[in-house]
Amino acid sequence: MAYLNGYQYYNNEGENPTNKNWGSYQYVYLNDIVNNFMLMYVGNHELLNNLNRYQVLFHAKRAIQELNYDAFKEIKALELNVPTTLRFILPPDYVNYVRLSVYRNGYLFPLVENIQINSATSYLQDNNSNVLFDQNGNILQAERSIVDQERINGAKKSIYLNANSPYNGKEGWNIGGCWYFDYQIGARFGLNTETANSNPTFRINNKAGVINFSSGMSEELCVLEYVSDGMEGGDDASVSVNKLFEEFVYSYIKYSILNSKFGVQEYIVNRARKDKSALLRNAKIRLSDIHPGRLLMNLRGQDKWLK
Amino acid sequence: MINEVRESVLAIVNKNNYGYISPSDFNLFAQQAQLDIFEDYFYAYNNQLVKENIRRSGSGYADLTKGLSEVIDSFSEEAFLTRVLISNNYNLPDDYYLINKVFHYSSLLTSGTNTLNLVNKLVDNTQSFTSSLVPIGSIVVNIDSKSQAFVTAIDSATTLSVSTDLNLAAGKPYQIFSSKNIREVERVTQNKIFYLNNSNLTAPTNSFPAYVLGGATSTTLGNTITIYPVTINGAADIKVQYIRYPRTPQWTYVTLANGEPVFDQSSGTYVDFELPVSDEYGLVNKILEYAGISIREEAVYNFGKTSDDSETQQES
Repeated sequence: MAYLNGYQYYNNEGENPTNKNWGSYQYVYLNDIVNNFMLMYVGNHELLNNLNRYQVLFHAKRAIQELNYDAFKEIKALELNVPTTLRFILPPDYVNYVRLSVYRNGYLFPLVENIQINSATSYLQDNNSNVLFDQNGNILQAERSIVDQERINGAKKSIYLNANSPYNGKEGWNIGGCWYFDYQIGARFGLNTETANSNPTFRINNKAGVINFSSGMSEELCVLEYVSDGMEGGDDASVSVNKLFEEFVYSYIKYSILNSKFGVQEYIVNRARKDKSALLRNAKIRLSDIHPGRLLMNLRGQDKWLK
Repeated sequence: MINEVRESVLAIVNKNNYGYISPSDFNLFAQQAQLDIFEDYFYAYNNQLVKENIRRSGSGYADLTKGLSEVIDSFSEEAFLTRVLISNNYNLPDDYYLINKVFHYSSLLTSGTNTLNLVNKLVDNTQSFTSSLVPIGSIVVNIDSKSQAFVTAIDSATTLSVSTDLNLAAGKPYQIFSSKNIREVERVTQNKIFYLNNSNLTAPTNSFPAYVLGGATSTTLGNTITIYPVTINGAADIKVQYIRYPRTPQWTYVTLANGEPVFDQSSGTYVDFELPVSDEYGLVNKILEYAGISIREEAVYNFGKTSDDSETQQES
């Protein structure tokens, strides 16, 4: 990508969207990466020769994906209303979640994952519990399992946490925002502190591509923070990577190709591998933002007076 | 150069009254010799690169690769390709030896038909050209002839000045492309194109398009390229840079009263050799080989062959 003048940067030359180029100088685009690599690293006198561009493109994209998984701090956030079905469909570029929160009264309350299954598929069965099939031999499935239906109806017990209430820590039913409890007889033991939380819980069904919530999330505003793979929905022209990682991407491509090429000496492959690893560490340190100003802010906290 | 070559050949052949080579025979031998030497350039270029990689070639005046690539580059041409009906197939030039690069002009700025044929001008009364619509340096293509020119000035809202004459008659269509966002279309083999089109990461896109060579029918050899993705199917947005074959040399003459042909450089069919002067020696030797076989003179053939071999040995 060519260097932009001020008008192009601030106003995109008057074309919509006018903010298109804001902050773009931090990034190097996939087109440039592939172009630079073909120009500088592939040739008659280079380590790599007789390469197809699509090989370079493939490894460049893989490098960007890997960086997005574990090195970048570029977390996307999506706010959606959770419907009465208590299901949140994962965004199209979702790869893994970072945090899930409910937005109430101007605050974000982080939600905890329910380690127990809260959703299940249900096969239809006859009176003798035999599984039912259609004429093609496919198993007939219920639209919703009992587990799902009860969770949606709020008919499944969960733990009520409210220190000011006599029912604090007791199991009950949350239906339409109101709590209902069993008539209490005797004592209660064994609160599962692992799952005890006053906020609703969730569990991600990766295969189905949805997040299932407990009943308390109905009609609540949910904020999903997640990481993507940086492929921008297949729009190659928009795929970019922070410049701090540019050299790593080149070394990743070089290593990946040398590693899978026939007849390359092992010491050359090893050199490329070490180069790649060192550059990744280097870029991670750069991106960690350890600079004096930020350290100073943290150190100021040591002199805080405690009451 | 062709006349000097012919005179040298005749001088050697006629020395011992071996025989006479007619102009038409000479032209045939000349074509063969030129093609032979032309092809040798590519092999020599490759050999030289191998030598460079093993440090058996120098730089400066010893940089033989430079000279070889200069000769090959002198046969480099660019042309916009003609689309086959409305599809993503394009006809290749008839005279190409090898396709080096294929480009896709991805940003079509505007198109229309020429209103008035003026030299080095594009006039379209239906347009309102501005510098933001058609920046200086944009590329104008004559859709019919596929000739191209650069916009050098915006004379008025309906008239552009262009770098070369497009020979665009009134009513003939044109397209104007941005000189930015030109994408290289990558050559992919027929073996790989299926996998490439079905790849989630590397399927051809507007940013990274690909093409395959093919298009043979039961009666004709393939001379078309198919571009992917199939959405790239504009009438004149594919340009190719290729190495063409040298033109067929023609030693032209006028016949005098005594029947002796005399060289006539002014003839419309005259074509000189296109190889550099340094190849004159090689051309003479090659032609002597063919002539020696033609007139069944072993000595002529051997002379040409020996000279040719020693030259090859010296160069390798």
